[in-house]
Amino acid sequence: MPKVKVPRKSTAIDMTAMCDVAFLLLTFFILTTKFRPQEVVQIDIPSSTAQIPIPDRDIMMFQISPEGKVFFGLDDQNTRLKLLSRLEEGYGLKFTDDQKDAFRLAELWGMDIRELPGYLSLDANGRANYQHPGLRIDTTGGEHQLEDLILWSRQENNNLRIAIKADKTTEYKAFDAVIEALQNRKVNRFNLITSARSAQE
Amino acid sequence: MAEMNIPESGAKKGKKKVRSKKASTRVDLTAMVDLGFLLITFFMLATTFNKPKTMEVVKPPKDDKVEEKDIPAIKMSKTVTLLLGNNDKVYWYVSPDEITEETAFVLDSTDYGPSGLRKVIQRRVEEVHEQWTDTTNLFVMIKPLPSSRYKNIVDVLDEMTINDVKTYAILKPNDPVDSLVCVKVGQPRK
Repeated sequence: MPKVKVPRKSTAIDMTAMCDVAFLLLTFFILTTKFRPQEVVQIDIPSSTAQIPIPDRDIMMFQISPEGKVFFGLDDQNTRLKLLSRLEEGYGLKFTDDQKDAFRLAELWGMDIRELPGYLSLDANGRANYQHPGLRIDTTGGEHQLEDLILWSRQENNNLRIAIKADKTTEYKAFDAVIEALQNRKVNRFNLITSARSAQE
Repeated sequence: MAEMNIPESGAKKGKKKVRSKKASTRVDLTAMVDLGFLLITFFMLATTFNKPKTMEVVKPPKDDKVEEKDIPAIKMSKTVTLLLGNNDKVYWYVSPDEITEETAFVLDSTDYGPSGLRKVIQRRVEEVHEQWTDTTNLFVMIKPLPSSRYKNIVDVLDEMTINDVKTYAILKPNDPVDSLVCVKVGQPRK
């Protein structure tokens, strides 16, 4: 009987298709996603059945940490700069160009407005590790810092929409303080940021 | 297609003609695939995929000029009051229209799950339809106590959407009954 020779096959596989798939997925991810912003505070948002997606631009964001600290953020860098010059005026502060540039890049911050120059003179690493004490909500002394921020930002950019992102466990008290300030500045419409879920849960 | 281009040695020893070698047009794509998947991994980890949803809240404007008599009065029997307390509890009651000798006042507590608050609201919607007309809307008064959690208010507002309750308001617990409830359940009102 003749020996049956098993033909040797090459172990090399055709990679073209795999390569196509990989780059297709890559393109998909690049186009549909958005870079995760640096998190100043860890916030675990509650879920709801709301279906309205958050608008892409012109957002004024308030974030409230579980301890009730309030943070403030504008998405547009130009508005941030305009707001800073209003703060200079209103609070008698003076910022250097470096500090202005640092503020332009500040996604989210939370401290007494008078402490801003100190924070902004830190280097990038120092700012990233800075422990924000939260915005000043207390209005004793007649200074309404939260309301000033709301009013001036809105005067600089009229299309701003207000979004509130709070942790599941944030006490209502802190949330109420923000709403109170918004309402005092005639803002009666705002968005609460939630994650999606179905009605059965 | 993507084989390595290993020169076959020994097979054509006898030939002496020098021929220009035909280079294969096939390229080894393994490295490129590696790179592709590496980038995919990077993008998956460094970016946010789905945008969070938002819940729109509209509050009535604060206007000092509106006098009390201009505010439309609602019969209490068309309402239900929800007091959001701590530890994920919600206290609910229906204020009587008029206090007479037969007035019964029920205070109950429930949770935020589908079998808790949702049932209460659905039952109350039906009760209002029975007592009044089928087109009468239930008016829900939501009164969060300071010790309640943010999640609670979101849950309640969500229940309003789920049960299609169009008329509701977020109020401060200013009613005398609210004070009584707060004392009863041992929670601060302010």
